[in-house]
Amino acid sequence: MAGVTLSNIRKDYGALAAVDDVSLDILDGELLALLGPSGCGKTTTLRMIAGFVVPTAGTVKFGEREVTRVPVHKRNVGMVFQGYALFPHLTVAKNVEFGLKVRGWDKARIAARVTEMLRWVQLEALAERQPRALSGGQQQRVALARAMANHPDVLLLDEPFSALDAKLRTQMRTEIRELQRQAGITSVFVTHDQEEAMAIADRIGVMNHGKLEQLGSAEDLYKRPVSRFVAGFIGKCNFIEGRVTGPGQFETANAQVLRFSGEHAGGPAALCFRPEHATLAPSGAAGTSSTVRVTSVTYLGPVTEYEVVSEAGDKLLVAAPSSGNVASPRAGDKVSLTWRVEDAFVVD
Amino acid sequence: MGGVSFGRVAFIALVIAIFTFVIAPLLTIIWASFFVDKILTFPPTGYTLSWYARAWDLEEFANGFLMSLKIGACATVASLAIGVPAALAIERYPFPGRETVRQFLLSPMYVPAIVAGAAVYIYFIEVEILTNFQLAATFTGLVIAHTLVALPWTLRLVCASLLSANVVSEEAARSLGANALQTFFYVTLPIIRPGMIAAAMFSFIASFSDLEKSLFLVGPGKTTLPIAIINYLEWNLDPTISAVATVQIVIIAAALIISDRFVKLGKAF
Amino acid sequence: MAGSRNGGEARNWGGTALVVPALVLVAAFLLAPLALILRYSFDKYDPVKLMLGVFSFGNYVQAVADPYYRKVLLTTAEIAGLSTAIVMLLAFPVAYYISRVESQRLRGWLIILTMLPLLLGNAVRSAAWMVVMGSKGVANSIFLGIGLVEEPIKILYTPTAVVIALVSVLLPFAIITLQAVMDSIPTSLEEAGQSLGHSPLRTVFEVVLPLSMPGVVAASAICFALAMNAYATPVLIGGPTMKMMGPVVYEQIAKANNWPVGSTLAWILMAVTLVLTVLSTRFLSRKHF
Repeated sequence: MAGVTLSNIRKDYGALAAVDDVSLDILDGELLALLGPSGCGKTTTLRMIAGFVVPTAGTVKFGEREVTRVPVHKRNVGMVFQGYALFPHLTVAKNVEFGLKVRGWDKARIAARVTEMLRWVQLEALAERQPRALSGGQQQRVALARAMANHPDVLLLDEPFSALDAKLRTQMRTEIRELQRQAGITSVFVTHDQEEAMAIADRIGVMNHGKLEQLGSAEDLYKRPVSRFVAGFIGKCNFIEGRVTGPGQFETANAQVLRFSGEHAGGPAALCFRPEHATLAPSGAAGTSSTVRVTSVTYLGPVTEYEVVSEAGDKLLVAAPSSGNVASPRAGDKVSLTWRVEDAFVVD
Repeated sequence: MGGVSFGRVAFIALVIAIFTFVIAPLLTIIWASFFVDKILTFPPTGYTLSWYARAWDLEEFANGFLMSLKIGACATVASLAIGVPAALAIERYPFPGRETVRQFLLSPMYVPAIVAGAAVYIYFIEVEILTNFQLAATFTGLVIAHTLVALPWTLRLVCASLLSANVVSEEAARSLGANALQTFFYVTLPIIRPGMIAAAMFSFIASFSDLEKSLFLVGPGKTTLPIAIINYLEWNLDPTISAVATVQIVIIAAALIISDRFVKLGKAF
Repeated sequence: MAGSRNGGEARNWGGTALVVPALVLVAAFLLAPLALILRYSFDKYDPVKLMLGVFSFGNYVQAVADPYYRKVLLTTAEIAGLSTAIVMLLAFPVAYYISRVESQRLRGWLIILTMLPLLLGNAVRSAAWMVVMGSKGVANSIFLGIGLVEEPIKILYTPTAVVIALVSVLLPFAIITLQAVMDSIPTSLEEAGQSLGHSPLRTVFEVVLPLSMPGVVAASAICFALAMNAYATPVLIGGPTMKMMGPVVYEQIAKANNWPVGSTLAWILMAVTLVLTVLSTRFLSRKHF
C-alpha cells in the first residue's frame, strides 16, 4: 500500500482541456474526495488514476511505481463503479472471486478469500444470490468486496452513493468509510455532493473547469477558501464586491471601508463571510458592518434565514438561530449587518 | 479505453479485413466493369465504357432494367397506398389484436423468398385455371408479388415515424375542429413525410433487388434485371455482366442516399 | 408508447378499417398460396394429370428416405451449418468493434457499410463473387500474375466457394444482430473486469461473450435459415452439381412441374425457418439486466 501522486496531469480532448495541469499527493491510507460540479474533470482524473484514460501529459505514481501508461489490468487498482457494474451472469460469490481467478491461486485459497470478503461486508448469507436479487446497498457492498478481494494498491469509487436514496446514502457512506478505515487502503472517491465529501473524506480536492482549485480538509476549505468558486461551492457564502486597498483593508463599491483577516494582494476582490457568522443588529461598528434592508425572512426550524440587500446592491444572506424574540427583523426593516473581522476573508 | 497496443492494432486489422471481405467483391465488380479486356486480365490494359453500351444493346438487359424500374415504381406506390393506412391504423387506432396484425403484415419478411415465390406461382396458375385471368408471367403478377415484398418495409418505417411523431399536434388539431381527414393531411402527413420517403426508397430497393419471388413469375419479354443477370451468368462471364451489376448497385445506392437525407438510416434496422 | 391512444377513446372503426387492404393483400397472396402448397405437399404427382388429388405423407417420407432427396437435405444442412459457424466467428469481433466505437459518426458509417451489400440483392452479390472466383476471375488473375500458381485454380463451382459466398452474404445480418445485443451490455462491466486484473481480451471472453449468448444463438438461427433458403448463391457459385434445397424447389416446381414434391420441400424449408425464427425472437427478447 502506498500513496498516489499525480504530477501535472493533463487531459485534452481536441481543444478542450478536461483536466488542466493537476498535481495532487494522496497520502497513504487516506480517503480523498474529488469534489466539483459536473464537467469539472473529477471523473476524468479518477479514470486516469484507474488507467481507463491515458493522460496527455504528466505522470501518475502509486508510491514509487510509475503507472502512467500501464494498462488497467496491470495496475492493481480496485474500483467501485457508479452503477456497481456487478456481473449479472455470475452469483455474488463468483463476482467477488472474479479478480482472483487470474492470480494463479488454488481453489481453496480463493474460496477462503471470498468468504473473508463477504464476511467483511456482512453479506455471507447472500453468496449464492444473483446481483439482480439484491438491494442497492447490498450491491454496493458486493462491489466493494469484489474490488478489495484483490488486495489492490488503491481503491477508487466513482460517485458511489448517487444511485441510493437519501437515507441509505447517509448510512452507506458511514459504512464505507468505516470499512475503508479498517482496511487502511489509499482511496479516492468522486462526488458532486459537498456534504458527502465533508462528512467522510480526510481531505477534499475541489475541482472546476479541469483545474484543482484547492486541496485541504473540510475545515480548511470552509474557513479559508482560496477562490471565489471554492467559497461559493462549499456551503453558502456572502460576497461583497469591491477592492483591496491595503493590508486587511477593503473598499466596497460605494466607498465603504471594511476590514478583513488573512492576506491578499491589492486589486479587485470580494469580501466574504458565512451566513452564520453574520448578525443583524440595530447598529454596528465601522469596518465590520454594513447597512442593509431585509428583503425576506425564511423560517427553517432551527435556523431562520434573512435575505438582505446592501446599499451597494450586494445580495447577502444571514442565518441566525431562530428565536422567539419579537424584536427579530422583519421584511422591509433597515438594519445593520455585522460580523467579526476574524470571520471575514477576501477572494478574487 | 487504454492506449495503442499490439493487441488493439491486430484487432482493428481483423475488423478491417472482415469488412474488406464483404465489400471487396462489390468494389471489384464495379472496377472490372470498366476493364477493356474481354478476358479478365490483371492489371487491366485499359479502361472503357463500352461494356455499358453493350449491356444496353442486349435486349434482355435493356428490357430487364426498364421492367425493374417500372415494377419498382408500381410496387412502391402500391406499397405506400396500402401500407401507410395500415400503419396509421396500427399506431393511431389501437384495436384488439393489433400486435398480431402487425406481425401478420410483417410476415412476408420472414417467409423464405423461394418458398413464397413458389407458392405465389402455383397460386397464380390455379387462379388462372379457375378464372381464366392470367397472373403468372404478367406485369400485374410481378407487381403484386413485389408489393408483398415491399409492404413490410413500408410498414416498419412509417410505423417508426408515427411512433416518434408527437401525437400532441394531432390532438391539438382535433381540438381546434379539424376532422380526421384534415388532421391527417395537414398535420400527420407532413410529420411522417420523411418516414414515407424512406419507406418509398426502401420499398423500391426491396423490389428492384428481389430475385427469388420474381423467379417463378417472369416470362418472355417480362423479366427483371436481377433475373436477367442470373440468366446471363449461367452461360457467360464477361465484363458486360459487371457493367449491368454496377448499374444495379448505382441505382440502389442512389435510393439509399436519398433515403438517408430524410431518415437516419440507423432507424430502418 | 408515444402515438397510441389509451382506453376512454371511443372505438374508431373507420380508422381500424384502414388496415383491411393490407390484410387482404397478405392473406390473399401469401397466406392462401402457402396454404395451397401445403395441401399440395400431401398430394401425389402424376405426369399426365399433374396431381392425383389424394392425401398422403408419401412426399415427406420420400424427402428423408429417398437417397437423392436425403442428400439434398444433408448438403443443405452441412453448407448452412458450416457457413453459420464461420459467420459467427467473424461477426463477433466486428459487432464488438461497432458496438464499442467511440465516434458516433464512424459508427453510423460502419452500420451503413455493413448493410449496403444486403440491399444490393443476391444476384449482384453472386455475380461479384463469380467475377472474383472464376477461372478467369480476379483472384486467379492475381495469383497467376504474381506467380503463386501456374494454372488457374478451380474455386468456382466447389462447395468451398459456396460457403465463402454465403458467409459474405450472411455476415451483415449476424453483425447487426450481435451489435444490437452488445449495445445493451454496459462498458462499465468490461471496465470492471479489467480493473480486477483481466486483460481486455480475457474480459471479452469472460464478460461480453456470456452476456451476448442470446444474441449469438439468435443470430445463428437467422443465419442458418437464410443459408438454408439460399437460391442465387448455390446456383451461380455452386453450379449444377450443387444441390441445395432452394434450387431443387425451383427445379421441381418450375421445370419438372412436380408440384407435390416441390411443395413438400418448400414446406420443409418453411417449417424449419419458422422454428428458427421463433427461437431467435425468444432469445433476442431475453433480458439480463
